[in-house]
This record gives sequence, C-alpha cells and structure tokens, in this order.
Amino acid sequence: MLSTLKKLHWLDYLVLAVILAFFGYVWWQIEGSLNYKWRWHQIPNYIFRYHTGREEWFANVLLQGLAATIRISIYASILAVILGTILGVARCSANLTIRMLARTYLEFLRNIPPVVVVFIFFFFLSEQLIQALNIESWARGIARSEDKGIWEFFFGEMRRFPKLISGVIVLALFESAFVGEIVRAGIQSIDKGQREGARSIGMNRFQELRYIVLPQAMKRVLPPLANQFITLIKDSAIISLISVQELTFKTVELVASTRLIFEAWITTAAFYFVICFGLSMLFRKLENR
Amino acid sequence: MKITRRFLGAALALAVTTGAAAPVLAQTATQALSSESVIETIKERGVIKIGLSLFVPWSMRDLNGDLIGFELDVGRQLAEDMGVEVEFIPTSWDGIIPALVSGNFDAIISGMSVTASRNLTINFTDPYAFSGLAVYSNIGMTQGMSRDDFNNEGIVFAARRGATPAVVIAKQFPKAQILLFDEDGAAAQEVLNGNAHATMAAQPTPNREVANYPETLHIPFEALYDPRGEAFAIRKGDPDAINYFNNWIAQQWRSGWLEERHNYWFATTEWESLVAQ
Repeated sequence: MLSTLKKLHWLDYLVLAVILAFFGYVWWQIEGSLNYKWRWHQIPNYIFRYHTGREEWFANVLLQGLAATIRISIYASILAVILGTILGVARCSANLTIRMLARTYLEFLRNIPPVVVVFIFFFFLSEQLIQALNIESWARGIARSEDKGIWEFFFGEMRRFPKLISGVIVLALFESAFVGEIVRAGIQSIDKGQREGARSIGMNRFQELRYIVLPQAMKRVLPPLANQFITLIKDSAIISLISVQELTFKTVELVASTRLIFEAWITTAAFYFVICFGLSMLFRKLENR
Repeated sequence: MKITRRFLGAALALAVTTGAAAPVLAQTATQALSSESVIETIKERGVIKIGLSLFVPWSMRDLNGDLIGFELDVGRQLAEDMGVEVEFIPTSWDGIIPALVSGNFDAIISGMSVTASRNLTINFTDPYAFSGLAVYSNIGMTQGMSRDDFNNEGIVFAARRGATPAVVIAKQFPKAQILLFDEDGAAAQEVLNGNAHATMAAQPTPNREVANYPETLHIPFEALYDPRGEAFAIRKGDPDAINYFNNWIAQQWRSGWLEERHNYWFATTEWESLVAQ
C-alpha cells in the first residue's frame, strides 16, 4: 500500500483532486435541487428486524429478496449450463438439421431484448408448464404441512414456489443461448488432432465427445462461464417484471409502501454490487490457481 | 330409391334423438357453467388467490414486512366468510390484468376502478369503495394558477403508467405533457424535485403528501376528478362468481363494515405508525 503511494506522481494527485471535486459538485447539486427527506435509519429495519408479534429476529423484505435472487441465480445457472451444453454440442453436430435448429434458437434469443423474451416465455411456456404439471397444489400441500423447513431453505416461501420455478425457467432459457455459444467456442477450440486420435482408437462420436472433447473444452470455458454467471445474477432483475419475488421486486414493493425511494434503491444496488463483485474476485482467484 | 329411404330413416332417427337430447344438453351446459365457476375452484382448493399491487393505503408492507391495508382487510374477511384460506399475490400493476386472465389468481382486489376499457377484458363486481382523484402540485411552480392554467403546453404532469390518473390527466388537461413512471412514489418525487408541475392521485394520497411536505406541495384547486367506484375484477364468463361477490359486498355495505374499514385506512392516520412513513 505504502509503496503504491510513493509511486504516485503529483499529476496523479491532481487528477484525484479533480475527480473528488467533480463528485463533490454533483453531490452539492443533488442536495440543492432534490427535495427529499433522507431516512437512512429505516433501512436496517427492512434488512433485519425484531418481529413485534412473533418475538424473534427475522429477515425482512430486502434480505428475503436477496435470498430469493441468490436461489434463482443458482438454479437458473445450473439449468442454463445443462441446456447450454446441449445447445453447444448441437451447434457442432454433423447433422445439418440439428445444427440449424440450434442456430435458429440461438439467433432468436440473441436478437430479441431480454424483457420481451421474458414475457414471451412466461406467458406461453412456463405458465402452461406449471399448470400442466399441477405444481401449484403440490407446493401448497408442502406449505401447509408441518416439516417444510428443508423445502423453505432451498426454495423460500413454498406458496411462491410456482413463480420461482417460472422465473428460473425463463432466466435459464434466456441465458442458455449465451452459455451455448461459450460451449461451442470451447468445443471448436479443441485441436483437431485430439478428435482424430479419439477416432483412431475406435471411439464413436459420443465417446469422443464424452471422454476427449468435453472435459478439455469445459476446462477452457470455465472463466467465460463464471462471467456469464455474474451476468445472470444481474439479468435476474428483469424477472421482477413477471412478479417473481426477488430483490428488485421486493425493492419496488418497499418503495411503494414507504417512499424510501433513494435509500431502498441504493441499498439494493449495494447488494447486487457486493455479490457480483465478490464473485468476480473469487473467480479471479480460482483462475490464478 | 332404396338408399334414399334408408337415408331418410336414419335422418329421422337422428332428428328425434337430437330433439330429445336438446334439453339434456342445455342442462349439462348450465351444470358445466356452475362447476367451472371460480367459486367452485376456490372451494375445492380451499384457498382464494387474490392479486394486488401495492398502493398506500390500499395495500402496503408494514415494518415487519407483512401486508396490511384496506384490501387486506377486505380479502381476509372475504376468505373468512367463504371458509377458506387466503393468499395474496403481489403483482406489478402493468401485468395485473393479463395475470388475472391467464389464471394466476381468482380475483383482483387492488383498488381497481371500473373503467369501460378495462371492462372489455375483465368483469367487475359492484363497487366496494368509492374515491375521486385530486391534483396536487409544486407550490413554487404553480403559485396562483387556476385550473385552466394547468391545461397548457408548458405544464408537466407526472403519473403512474397504466393507472387511471394518467388517463384522466390526458383527458382533462389535453395540452399538458405527461411523464410516466412505474409507481406513484417516483411520480410524486418528480413533483417534489420540481421536474414536474403536478400529479394526480386518488384521495387521501394528495392530502397526505401535502401534510408531509407543506412547504413544497399544495392542492391548487379543490376539484375532485372522475369520482368512481373500485371493484373486484374477475375473469369473464362467470355469472356465479359475480353473484357471490356482489352479494358479499352488498352485505358488507349494509352492515357498515366496509365504510368503517374504509374510514380507518383513508380518513385516520392511526395505522401510519405501522409503516415507516
């Protein structure tokens, strides 16, 4: 730290001072023109609070939303990696039809705004799926039963389970297109010699993929996949539009109830930043090893 | 000839059976109608699912993160009288009607006012509340302005997208500009910041906002726009549900319960300590 300080030139200090002055000016402008009563002391209440009725500490709306966002992101990533791998393999298939189908799916998803994709998938796909599988009454049965602790740990409030699932499906389908492209790049980066070698010892196409190509490709695509995971966390804010009860939706609710507009949104931004930045630091560390 | 006769016989037999079956068919149709009613679904499920969008003081989250408000009282009482559990499904206002139509919940109880255009898509019960819209504005920007002065190209209104005030503003003040936001908080903030001259909301929100920011906001003229009723919204083609809900609402009006609850949430401020205001 000290050695970095020593390396700084006087010009660096000047630049720093100018930047600080700029932010100070922006802040001064905001304070002057914004007619707003800041109530930061309310925010901790909405993260953790001592419940006046149940007499216990509980995670309030913001933390509930954060937990939901984390759950959704994890499940959606797992699903997206599975679907994306299938898509990536299909993109490199020898069969023209399969290749074209995969390409069509991918081009559709990549060239439509995420919000539109979310609405289309939600109304035409995941809702139908949930109704057809009767997930709702099943989840309600669990919500009413006595030992739901383990379920609630993994999926949160079980009465909201169908919404959570449709959120996960929508997000995974959307992200799978990008994961698919990453996987395809990984597969195509494997040296031709490897594939030929696999063939020459009598492996069929499946074995070649399973034992030779995919293990090497997956290793190579891990860094971009980790990146995609962080993107997915940020994209998960979009599914608040279909009323999935994640962090962004909960923040909207909090703002509607209390008018803590800036405090709530800044807190939410901080939550997203801490998660995404923390993960990107972690992944960088893992890459170096 | 022989073929024709046989054909005639068959046609006759068919006509007779159809004729005999017609009343039976009509009966099954009414049976199907009542068994497909959302009331039957609710009884079978043991749960009534109510869609709502948070909107003070209709519905909001208290300090414990639980839902409270006028709608919640109505919904819980309704469920209790039906003998079922209640599930409230918070939904963003933009998508609340599509969500009802696609079957996400049984009814919308969310201070939704009956409008002709909404009624084309969904059915409404009789009103369970009445309210009117009032304009409130930034004092510094609109000092001394009359009602007609607001209908001017230079005037900017802020409003929530898809909500009734936005429509009423466009109709009453056709020359003014409208800025649209996703929720009322943002619209009110724009007026506070002086980026919009005025906004419109259902009473008692204007009175409460003015009380919170007396040095910045005022109600420039005492006109109540578009007085209309708020009603439950349900899917079309369900006469049984309309009948059930109408009778429930009528009963609650007669007993004075609806008025008492409405007064508590809209005319008093006792509940404000429950929410961070």
